[in-house]
Amino acid sequence: MKIGLFVPCYVNAIYPDVGIATYKLLDYLGLDVCYPVNQTCCGQPMANAGFEKEALELAMKFEKIFNQYDYIVAPSASCTAFVKYNYPSVIEDDNLPETSGKIYDVCEFIHDVVKPSKLPGRFPHKVSVHNSCHGVRELQLSSASELNIVRYSKIKNLLSMIEGIEIFEPAKVDECCGFGGMFAIEEPDVSVCMGEDKLGNHVATGAEYITGADSSCLMHLQGIAARKKSPIKFIHVVQILASGL
Amino acid sequence: MSTKHAKAAKRFIRNREQEQWHNETLWLVRQKRDNMAMRIPEWEELREQANRIKAHTVAELACYLEQFSSAAENNGAIVHWAKDAQEHNEIVYDILKQHQVKKLIKSKSMLTEECLLNPYLIDKGIEVVESDLGERILQLMGEHPSHIVMPAIHKKREEVGKLFEEKMDSEKDNSDPTYLTHIARKYLRKEFLTADAAMTGANFGIAQTGEVVVCTNEGNADMGTSLCKLHIVSMGIEKVIPDLKSLSVFTRLLARSATGQPSTTYTSHYRKPIEGGEMHIVIVDNGRSKIQHNFNYERILYCIRCGACMNTCPVYRRSGGYSYTYFIPGPIGINLGMLKSPKKYSDNLSACSLCYSCNNVCPVKVNLADQIYRWRQRLNLFHKASTTKKLMSKGMKFIFGHPALYGAVLKIAPIINHLPRFLVYNKLNAWGHGRELPRFAGKSFNSMWKKGKQLTINN
Amino acid sequence: MSSKNDIIKNLNPHYSWTLKLADIKTVEAVKFDNPVAEFLEISRFVGGDAVLLNEGEDVNALIKTLYPDAVRIASNLPEITIASFNPDETDDPHNLNDVELAIVKGELGVAENGCVWIPQNVRQKALYFISENLVIILDKNKIVNNMHEAYERVAGNDYGFGVFISGPSKTADIEQALVIGAHGAKSVRVIIN
Repeated sequence: MKIGLFVPCYVNAIYPDVGIATYKLLDYLGLDVCYPVNQTCCGQPMANAGFEKEALELAMKFEKIFNQYDYIVAPSASCTAFVKYNYPSVIEDDNLPETSGKIYDVCEFIHDVVKPSKLPGRFPHKVSVHNSCHGVRELQLSSASELNIVRYSKIKNLLSMIEGIEIFEPAKVDECCGFGGMFAIEEPDVSVCMGEDKLGNHVATGAEYITGADSSCLMHLQGIAARKKSPIKFIHVVQILASGL
Repeated sequence: MSTKHAKAAKRFIRNREQEQWHNETLWLVRQKRDNMAMRIPEWEELREQANRIKAHTVAELACYLEQFSSAAENNGAIVHWAKDAQEHNEIVYDILKQHQVKKLIKSKSMLTEECLLNPYLIDKGIEVVESDLGERILQLMGEHPSHIVMPAIHKKREEVGKLFEEKMDSEKDNSDPTYLTHIARKYLRKEFLTADAAMTGANFGIAQTGEVVVCTNEGNADMGTSLCKLHIVSMGIEKVIPDLKSLSVFTRLLARSATGQPSTTYTSHYRKPIEGGEMHIVIVDNGRSKIQHNFNYERILYCIRCGACMNTCPVYRRSGGYSYTYFIPGPIGINLGMLKSPKKYSDNLSACSLCYSCNNVCPVKVNLADQIYRWRQRLNLFHKASTTKKLMSKGMKFIFGHPALYGAVLKIAPIINHLPRFLVYNKLNAWGHGRELPRFAGKSFNSMWKKGKQLTINN
Repeated sequence: MSSKNDIIKNLNPHYSWTLKLADIKTVEAVKFDNPVAEFLEISRFVGGDAVLLNEGEDVNALIKTLYPDAVRIASNLPEITIASFNPDETDDPHNLNDVELAIVKGELGVAENGCVWIPQNVRQKALYFISENLVIILDKNKIVNNMHEAYERVAGNDYGFGVFISGPSKTADIEQALVIGAHGAKSVRVIIN
């Protein structure tokens, strides 16, 4: 099977290590991974702000670049969810976009498709898992706290394969961190307030790292932590999973 | 690009202590709701069933309204129809005038808030007394509800204590909630005993039997309606459900979702007028039938006004009910406002980070967040889209639309890391308010990939 | 009449796929091994109380121990001998304002939420709400599991007014602090016999 690696714009520019860890991990798992270099952005920032039209061209491009792969894998739950659930309405074609059915967040992909029985990594640290809104309530990476369904967490399942790790979760386990794309700048006061509360809940677990499947949330919390001069560190789940590689 | 909501939220958050109290108190209600939901193994199926009953009813609303009104008339109730708020208020006033009513005692009704009934009646010389404790507090303060189930949630006990000292001769500086509630009980008891007519809203109208169902914890709807000969019900057209079997689904969901109780204290079924009295039901449209037509938004009519979406909303909890420009706040209010007048109420659309928690707590599965997303797409049509956001979106599209340009931007972006602080952190940069900017990596993933995959991981 | 027509006209059914009510799947609802025990427990949870009348125990004596100081006691039930008057002889419900204790009969108890169904069985329904304390007598064979079962039994009955009561009147409108005794009865006790 051929896998197209999608490295979302902000991951590309700000967290290239997350892209690298994703590649390394998939490569280690024996998968055939391609990175189409002419990729850019999925279009989510514009669409969430109310400009789906501006996202259309990018969605069409995305579709063209990626529809040749069996799977598309991205280290970002939010971007994945956008391609999966919003492309059909953005593209508005009678034929559903093919990429919507093929895209996976990297954690979801490894957990549900690759299903490795063990991972070689070692990460002797305390981590607090950041359950992102789109990861939880769209991609269902873990059971949403509002629903009366069997409790599970794909992220915790994966992380528990790593030697030495201690996993924690914050109070208000899947409350929004306040990023929300342009929400962060259109509603700066509420957004910062949400971010500070979220950071506080993570810090209260005693963890050294905040980890999650969405670099965008981590970026937001990192900005808050830096301003508050909080010593807590940030790491994407996939970087932990690839830590032995 | 600050919306009215964002500005009002800023003011609310400035009092951080009050904001935190508001946030945590409503979160506690969300937790109580969770506890209740988790105790019912069939909870999710129940929500699904509720959703389907509402989908069915809203699609067949005309039939059910006809059935309801003729059953109600057979029971001896008098049914009125109001196209809009004005007609509703006129009908209510006419009934009151006919019966020479001087004092009207009301139980909580968001529909009468929507119609601005109180000022209308007061203007005509009728004394209107709200009997729900929270509503009464606000009425005495001259304010309106900031939450649809907990109307005075933004008020501190000390403020209520001060108010009662002045209006009800309560002890000086005694702000104990039990003491204050019992003082209000005593005072409102006098109002109940001297009222000429009672008014209630309706949580449900049962088409098959023509009865109106009202849920309260205080018992105020029943105090009013069992002492007065005249009972006026104000009911939106979307409150009708088919039968008592359907009602069983909603009564199981309503209080659990709203306040985390297994049931409201009182679930009252009004079928016939009181002995020797009259019961009037005013069925109100006021824009609802227009929503029923609209495939994209008709689900809003399923809402049973439990307020769970407000309690879970991270934005509502931190910005308070008054930060919204529509009289109903929170996710449901954002949507109702847009349906009322997109031009007038578009400022509330910013009050959502699209976290989707509201969708998950909604007992009738209204897709509140999806609808907010959809409204944002339409803002441009009403010329209400923020120009800054538009420019940013267009700019992003331009960069992302040209891979070579995107590559170049990726390369030069790290320069921002080295700009002087005053250039980056200033009033124009809303991100910089409370947050440091992310630092661009020295080399983007793109350039590393192109350079032959120098794949090293720096933990 | 024209407003009615306008509203109804606006509401034409608009879906080709309209869901039939009969086709909506009914939920298999929670049932309890011992609904009476569940009812007793949940009654306390909702701020009220429920007591099981022992075999041979006199209901009047029990009520007397629960409300030793009550003087003005209203009941129209023939078995209630401690009642000081029959409220059905009152023409004006306002005159019930000083009732300290009302003793009435419930028709149905619901184990999942402590609700007791009372279709109006006194002349002045104000009695249920205006008296300071309320005792509801309930047959232990009439306790059902959940609201679905409850409404199945309620449906088809003729009543002008009916109410499910679950615990005493309460409010949390001041700072979400729970206070018992807002406008209705300050205590509600269900006696199961």
